[in-house]
Amino acid sequence: MKQTKDCNRDELKINRLLRFRLPNVYKKIGWVLFFITFATILSTKFFEGDLEVLKIVLRKIMLVTLLIVVLSKEKIEDEMITNFRAKSFSVAFIVGVFYVLLQPVVNFIVALILSEDKPIFENLGDFQILWFMLIVYLTVFWVLKRNA
Amino acid sequence: MKNTLKVERAILNLTQEELAQKIGVSRQTINSIETNRFVPSTLLSLKLSKVFGKQVNEFFTLELED
Repeated sequence: MKQTKDCNRDELKINRLLRFRLPNVYKKIGWVLFFITFATILSTKFFEGDLEVLKIVLRKIMLVTLLIVVLSKEKIEDEMITNFRAKSFSVAFIVGVFYVLLQPVVNFIVALILSEDKPIFENLGDFQILWFMLIVYLTVFWVLKRNA
Repeated sequence: MKNTLKVERAILNLTQEELAQKIGVSRQTINSIETNRFVPSTLLSLKLSKVFGKQVNEFFTLELED
């Protein structure tokens, strides 16, 4: 009996976590912050000096801004939108796994063909994976909404 | 699954927007249900049933392939 109660409590916590959404206004805020961060990252190419730490911080900020967009409510957040979110998350996850597995192989093969030196097999970084998954999520979600 | 949502809505002389407001969803959701692109939950079906004053299976019917 106690075990069932604990289980229900855990289920409630998970549901609360899954239902968590930021107000709709954060969607605009997220996009504005994203473009500012993106422009700043691009502009670092024109500056000289050791900007590696700044780039790392900016990349992390960019991931957070995209996460804000993902977690923001739509104007009317109904069950069809919840359904689209679930579909977009699963597509992003599955495509993300394929990306992680295949992209390094593609990079290696291309480097093998194009470069004269022996290429090194490199796995993708955390930023590349998360950035890709967030972009896939947002694209799929946008397409589903547009075709609704 | 097919539905007669459009007919029921016409009987009550409601636009998609008005029906959407009554059950707390977007107009796109009503449009997607009417064109069989989205199957609503039991909760939403019961809300529609309340608005139309009819049983759910009077406006949602199963097809052979379901």
